[in-house]
Amino acid sequence: MNTFIDRFSTTSAASQVRKLKEQEEDEFSDAAWGSEAGFGNLAKGIPSFSVPSVHDPTAFLRLHTDDHADPNCRIKIQHGTTTLAFRFQGGVIVAVDSRATAGSYIASGTVKKVIEINPYLLGTMAGGAADCQYWETYLGIQCRLHELRNRERISVAAASKYLSNLVYSYKGMGLSMGTMICGWDKTGPAVYYVDSDGTRLKGDLFSVGSGSTFAYGVLDQGYHWDLTDEEAQELGRRSIYAAGHRDAFSGNTCNLYHVKEDGWNFIGNFDISKMHYEGPGNVPGAPGTGYGYDVRVLGRNSSNPPPPEAAPAVAAHA
Amino acid sequence: MDVSFALTGKGYVLVAADTTAARSIVKMKGDEDKIKSLGPHLLMAYSGEPGDTVNFAEYIERNIRLYQIRNLYPLRPPSAASWIRRSLADSLRSRSPYSVNLLLGGYDTSTYTPHLYWIDYLGTMATVPFAAHGYGSYFALSLLDRYHDPEAPLEEGLATLKRCIDEVSKRLVVAPGKYKVKVVDKDGIREVEL
Amino acid sequence: MVAVPDMDSLVNPQQRQFNPYTENGGTILAIAGADFTVIAGDTRQSEGYSIQTRYAPKVFRLTDKAVLAVNGFAADGNMFVKKVKQRLEWYRHAHAKDMPLRAIARLIQTMLYARRFFPFYVYNILGGIEDDGTGAVYSFDPVGSYERETCRAAGAAQSLVQPFLDNQIYFKNQLAAPGMSHPTHLPLPDVLSIVIDSFTSATERHIEVGDGLEMYVVLAKGRGLGGMEAIGGVQELSERTEGERLFVVRRELKKD
Repeated sequence: MNTFIDRFSTTSAASQVRKLKEQEEDEFSDAAWGSEAGFGNLAKGIPSFSVPSVHDPTAFLRLHTDDHADPNCRIKIQHGTTTLAFRFQGGVIVAVDSRATAGSYIASGTVKKVIEINPYLLGTMAGGAADCQYWETYLGIQCRLHELRNRERISVAAASKYLSNLVYSYKGMGLSMGTMICGWDKTGPAVYYVDSDGTRLKGDLFSVGSGSTFAYGVLDQGYHWDLTDEEAQELGRRSIYAAGHRDAFSGNTCNLYHVKEDGWNFIGNFDISKMHYEGPGNVPGAPGTGYGYDVRVLGRNSSNPPPPEAAPAVAAHA
Repeated sequence: MDVSFALTGKGYVLVAADTTAARSIVKMKGDEDKIKSLGPHLLMAYSGEPGDTVNFAEYIERNIRLYQIRNLYPLRPPSAASWIRRSLADSLRSRSPYSVNLLLGGYDTSTYTPHLYWIDYLGTMATVPFAAHGYGSYFALSLLDRYHDPEAPLEEGLATLKRCIDEVSKRLVVAPGKYKVKVVDKDGIREVEL
Repeated sequence: MVAVPDMDSLVNPQQRQFNPYTENGGTILAIAGADFTVIAGDTRQSEGYSIQTRYAPKVFRLTDKAVLAVNGFAADGNMFVKKVKQRLEWYRHAHAKDMPLRAIARLIQTMLYARRFFPFYVYNILGGIEDDGTGAVYSFDPVGSYERETCRAAGAAQSLVQPFLDNQIYFKNQLAAPGMSHPTHLPLPDVLSIVIDSFTSATERHIEVGDGLEMYVVLAKGRGLGGMEAIGGVQELSERTEGERLFVVRRELKKD
């Protein structure tokens, strides 16, 4: 019965897909000929997508791309990640790892998981790499158009709502993204969590991805509103290190950003193995030693033998 | 949904386990003690398949006691850990295996050293300075990497343990409400309030 | 009893396991130098344990300064290259110049993402010369996420070749001699021998790699041939010698 309704209703996802399909199919707008590169077809509104001519395109996509259900399926979508962002007195800290995995193979260790939407807005990447990259670039276009139309920068709230509404319109079709939209607007520093379920949350502190629990463990304990800039940057870096250390799907390097009133700043790229043994190097907030547990507690141990004068008695007893 | 933690400090091991006994979606009991004393200086926190846990723990408890009666001295923590692990490994290869995860904390009075062992239901054993079982481990391990000090006095060890419990209460959707905390050191075993 | 056909199955269209994908093996690879880029691929095409052909190119000239390597499902790959070439030709007609490399990279992203719900099962590596004269490599996943890198291997023997490249190109897990540092870019002859070694080794250990090797070499404008003269079997593909220059070098690989 459900399949029957799907086929003939005008509101179901399947019918939307049908409509999209009718629009596209090798029909190119004039923009495709010109210099608007690939995004020519985007500038005028919602882009169109081709879909397979099957009864249930979503099931088709899932069959060929979902690596949870079937690890042998052909098209692998990147999954493991740790990303975090938090708001504090001095702005917003955004920190991410740089590992991309396909099954247990490390497909890349140099992924840029912070997407620079514009000089005031950052987006983070977890879930489908292409979904995040494509839609956050698209969001950048829309934010610029907002600026031109309204002679005013878009608020973080509005930008995140735009993205949230957009991905919500594709709900059930297989998009996968968990992102934090971070920036500074008239209201001050702002962080919004947006995901492909359509969830949109305003908050002070978020972490997303397979390593997020490990990041939270360090982040929550060290976080408070009055952190100095140096302390905040160190906390973000240390939390990504923790996730890289404990979660096999996260690691390689940490990319750190700080958003202030005049836009975002790239603080640096930090090697996680190097942070384990030597620390992050000569940067503000660094502890001067490695973050690694074994490095930190080197030479310390839990034995508590009695003071030396009691020792002979023990020897006699033995 | 059980959560258990353990950590070593200067001359002691702290072991904590939640006190809920659940069946399906129902909380059957809110003050269950899931940490057994296996001797004057040996503690074991157990979690896993309901039924298996208590049965296995009691089997271990009786046999460790039997050893002490026969030999007039208790097993030292490393030997106890080896025997318990082997019992679990043999059980895994039997017709009805026990599905029990353990944290074994002990104080060796002859070397003045605290010992902590992490053992899972497959018989995997690791000697560690701190350990956790259950969903709590996803939050606590990174925290302990950051805050654990092997030379911390008891008050500091308890403060670190409290951080773990607070973090799990803050972030874990199915977080347990109450924990029982026990410490083992040169003076033996006692329960402590956080 | 006479078997009566189920009316429902006649009225409704029937669909059983629509599988338009296969995997055709092979490996591709690209390495960027300071002012050149090498893009290479083997020429074996297989399905399962059968070799379909010993010469099916996987590397294609897009412009004099851009080369695209495709790997995965050959039919999708060939279709995709065809469509990219068409878009680049339209661009040439509209602007009387070749599309810059970074723009081709973005174009490929949007073309791949337009098929987000019916993906091209293709891993793309784009190599060439950037507008500033530097060598560049862009690698893509099947639905269009991309990144600029210095080197990248993809395809069947990716997991054999990439660690070798990490060691030889990025000097991963190597210590520089005292007082020395690792070079950021290698000279062309070194890169070509690394590429050849990658493929001969992959051929030794992977059943889907072998038969032939095609290496495309893109040289930046005004760079000169430095390093190319000594290499045998070179064919020039560029139409003009004053701009970027494009060469293809072919080598045999083992055929068992």
